[in-house]
Amino acid sequence: MDQKRDGTGRLGRRELLMAAAGAAALGGRRAGAQGDGPWAIPPKSKVDKLNFVVWTYGDIYTKIQAKFKADWGVPVEATISAFNDHPAKLMTMYAGGESIDVSQSSPFSFPNFISQGLVEPIGDLPGAKEYLADLTDSAKQVAVYNGQLMGLPYFSTVWVWNYYTDLMEKAKFQPFKTYDELMEQLRKAKQDKIAQYPIIWVAGVGLEQLPGTWYQMTWNRGGVFFDKQGNPQLGPGSIARETLKWWVQTFKEELADPESLKAQFTGSAKAFGAGKNLYRGPNHHYGLNIANDPAQSPNAGKIKVHGSPGDGMTIGDTHVYFLCAANRDKEWAWKLLQYLGGKTKDGQYTQAINLARDAMLGSGYNSVMKSAAITEGWKPWGDPVEILQIWDKATYVAEVVPSIYKPWHFPWSDRINIEVSKALTGQITPDVCCDNLVVAIKEVQKG
Amino acid sequence: MAPAKPFRFSRELPPRALGVAMNIPTLLTLGLVLAYPIYYAAYLSFHKVSLAELRRGVFPFVGLANYERIFNDRLFLLALKNTLIFTAFSVTTEIVLGIAIALLIDQRHVWTSRVTKFLLLVPYAVPPIANGLIWSFIYSFEYGFLNRILFTTRISDAAVNWSGDPATALLAVSIPYIWRTLPFAILLVHSALQGISREYYEAASVDGAGALQRFWHITLPMLRPIIVVILVLRTSFAFAVFDEVLAITQGGPGDATWVASWYSYKKGFSPPFDIGLGAASAYVLAIMVGLFAIAYVGFIYRRID
Repeated sequence: MDQKRDGTGRLGRRELLMAAAGAAALGGRRAGAQGDGPWAIPPKSKVDKLNFVVWTYGDIYTKIQAKFKADWGVPVEATISAFNDHPAKLMTMYAGGESIDVSQSSPFSFPNFISQGLVEPIGDLPGAKEYLADLTDSAKQVAVYNGQLMGLPYFSTVWVWNYYTDLMEKAKFQPFKTYDELMEQLRKAKQDKIAQYPIIWVAGVGLEQLPGTWYQMTWNRGGVFFDKQGNPQLGPGSIARETLKWWVQTFKEELADPESLKAQFTGSAKAFGAGKNLYRGPNHHYGLNIANDPAQSPNAGKIKVHGSPGDGMTIGDTHVYFLCAANRDKEWAWKLLQYLGGKTKDGQYTQAINLARDAMLGSGYNSVMKSAAITEGWKPWGDPVEILQIWDKATYVAEVVPSIYKPWHFPWSDRINIEVSKALTGQITPDVCCDNLVVAIKEVQKG
Repeated sequence: MAPAKPFRFSRELPPRALGVAMNIPTLLTLGLVLAYPIYYAAYLSFHKVSLAELRRGVFPFVGLANYERIFNDRLFLLALKNTLIFTAFSVTTEIVLGIAIALLIDQRHVWTSRVTKFLLLVPYAVPPIANGLIWSFIYSFEYGFLNRILFTTRISDAAVNWSGDPATALLAVSIPYIWRTLPFAILLVHSALQGISREYYEAASVDGAGALQRFWHITLPMLRPIIVVILVLRTSFAFAVFDEVLAITQGGPGDATWVASWYSYKKGFSPPFDIGLGAASAYVLAIMVGLFAIAYVGFIYRRID
């Protein structure tokens, strides 16, 4: 295979110089390609500062703020609130006439933000088409609305199960393969006093927490919440209703940790890390980043990821950053948006890569998902191969709950939280819960 | 050049004009920070106001549609019911405990140090949201102090899910609220007690009145004006309870702790940001508080007369 130029297997001086020059030229061209892209071109206008309004997740913004200032000389202010408080914070700032350059949205509130005029289309901005070409299917389903690119991905995730190896070994269980087997394991673990509450669910109030758990298990069993014509699929005998009945049973038999009803993603991962439960119900994959972090979990390294029963189908979604209609300068806001959800001046997906390496978040870009940032970067917390196998079986949550695309999904989601919580706490039956939710659809549609 | 004479009014304003002049700054301030928002909330409640309309400042008039919607909303009626239960329980408890504790620290033979008196007031200085968070830790099902204490003292052999059980959730919100606001009642009653002449009690004792009779016939009647003040203020604040709900239950489990202000918040400040509806529900609440205040004053002052 190697060509011996001088018959000795060594490069001659001239060849060496030519090779070096060629390598330099190649390297230069690569660097040039990164530096010459639209992300490297400075905006013509001038601004004193920029800002973004986001929800908190660890310390993921400090570095990118500093990088933006270092690259462009413009300071960036951050307004950061809790996930559930973010819509209210954003709304009050917007309504109050404040400038907001970039903000972010869950897929559940994005259509509402768009319909309220909060989001500016970005499809025609320089470099947008390249981003669009690199988006994953899941990211496209959120970021593209009515055929227009409306945002860039913040992160992607899929719903996975977790189990705690020490208690599983103590109980002599293998991770379940069916829901019946799971129920039997939970009952036996309680009976044998392996755990007082063998499972913790993410069932706290939220857009994705309690509803997400129900969506995931329904989809995994082959159900949806609305058919293609938009008719609710919550009637008697529906998979969603039967799933809820099964889920309620885990509370009725006191197999589920009562803290489940308050558990948000991060809190449930911390609670699970305490080692009191065998299983943690399906939720965002990156909880492993907390449960297996020695600084945050006494049982780091003992929390494993597990796929869903049957064919392993699960759900996933992508959260997005968007260019706010209340921006102070569109060119600069686009530049900042790219720092958060796209490429930095050097042509790299700096934030997406950092989020993968520092916080175990998935990306909405195919190129990042295939990179070492994921395949190597996730290793401290879980097995990337196993998680990516689950990833391949994930469907965007809107396939399960197409109402996500409707502005009324948000208030309906409030009703899901109320009615399902009542069912889980035994105030109403799952049948009444589903009937109430069908009625609620008509109510929220009226506005 | 002669030194300039200091400016001086040629004559004093008549008392009535002076009174008006002196009140103008206060009236302007109150008008700005109270009357205008109240008027504006009323205005919004008759209009369709969402995020886009609020930003543009153009609101379509919808008449009484927002009021119709809230009175047809089962959740609003439930929130009102929860608010009434919460208010009745918390205000009654505050008044009873406020009088009891104020009487206790007012006793000459019961020594209470300044530190104790100071500590009694500390909860009032705790920010409401912080108070809610502290109590949510106390209530924690597995790790909370309350369950630990009950378990250690063998009062209960099983952990109680205080804030997660629909049967106890409203109580779980009420207790922290009472804990935080009770010092206000204590302070007012204690001040009022200072104003009651000891001679009344001495005379009653000479006439053979016992402690209970002295309380019933002297203390309580003399406290009535301050009880009215406490009732009016505490009722209006209890009607608007929000922070503890936000921090401890977020309205849950289910709708067990949905109160009126939580309803207004959820309708106005989460998508689809129906601010007109939120304003209408807040207005209904304000009217109810006003009616309660009028009723209290009328009822108790009639008793005093």
